[in-house]
Amino acid sequence: MNIEEIITGMNEVFKDVLEIDDLSINADTTANDVEDWDSINHIIIVVGIEKRFNVKFNSDEIHAFKNVGEMADTIKLKMTA
Amino acid sequence: MKNYTEILLNKIDEKNPGHAKKLRDNTADLDADYAITGNLFFEKYENYLLSESLTLDFGIDCYLKMLEDMQELRIKFIQSGSYINTSFEEVEKSVYANPEVMTYHMHGLVLAQFLWFDQYERIKFFRENLIRHFNHGRNYLEIGGGHGLYINEAMKLLPAQTQFDLVDISESSLLLAKGIINTANINYYLKNIFDFTNEDQYDFVTIGEVLEHIENPLALLKKISNHLTEDGVCYITTPVNAPMIDHIYLFNNEEEIRALFREAGFDIVEEKVVISEKITDAKARKAKVPVMYAAFIKKVK
Repeated sequence: MNIEEIITGMNEVFKDVLEIDDLSINADTTANDVEDWDSINHIIIVVGIEKRFNVKFNSDEIHAFKNVGEMADTIKLKMTA
Repeated sequence: MKNYTEILLNKIDEKNPGHAKKLRDNTADLDADYAITGNLFFEKYENYLLSESLTLDFGIDCYLKMLEDMQELRIKFIQSGSYINTSFEEVEKSVYANPEVMTYHMHGLVLAQFLWFDQYERIKFFRENLIRHFNHGRNYLEIGGGHGLYINEAMKLLPAQTQFDLVDISESSLLLAKGIINTANINYYLKNIFDFTNEDQYDFVTIGEVLEHIENPLALLKKISNHLTEDGVCYITTPVNAPMIDHIYLFNNEEEIRALFREAGFDIVEEKVVISEKITDAKARKAKVPVMYAAFIKKVK
């Protein structure tokens, strides 16, 4: 799975958690760009991503992601590990 | 009097500015009593710390360590849908028999009582309604007094001739409460409430944040019922979706709490529900954000 495909999959999780049907994230998207992507929903989003991609993040990783691209890179690494 | 709340927030700001901002934002619109009540309690807490050759900085470090635990536990809770411990045996080993963990956790909770707006809303609910529900009673029992905040408030509000009893199964908890409240007017019992005899009857019982710590809260509620006089009132608090290191019984929503009260033979006279974040009820349910529940309950006649 390439990064674009991962981000497409992540977008589905974001849309479901945040209930924003027309949401379209990209590698540069940060929490500041998305309504309701706050600390509360961040955990829900991350856990949703864990389930979708069958990966696990530790708490340092969960709090360190600066944007969608960093999350996607980490997902790709974990999927190929 | 020192502005303890401000002092504590400034100290937290030095180590965790994001969290300090959140605490300030969340408490900004609380009433004037918040600062007064909080400062009075924190003054007692500081006096206790000084008597133990400690300072407020110790309390802050404990609070921030407790916060770290909570953040880790929330992730695990959202991943699994359950608390990490579900038996008393597990928490006995990991928490109650571990003095270092017990210390920082208990001290962290002391600060949370007034730094967290949801905790203050419940204290306010208690203060505003206690006299009416005590209704000229003779005696007051507190089960699992923890930091002693509720009984401390009750002593300010109820008649001086009221008999105040505090029972706790934990010696360290009892010592902390004793140290903070610092009064000779409370009878302290290091005891399991299940060892009380049926002759011990009370007009008012407070049991704050205990149900979620035990495997069989229904049995405890029925035991409480045995110790309430016919018209006695129980003030009870417990949280929903609140992973903590020693929480083992999960209430998924307020309806489960109410159902348990009914099953134990209680009617809810008055209740208060406070979401722990400034968000809607719908968001809290979807994101399983902790919700604080409090109620005055009476035995069904």
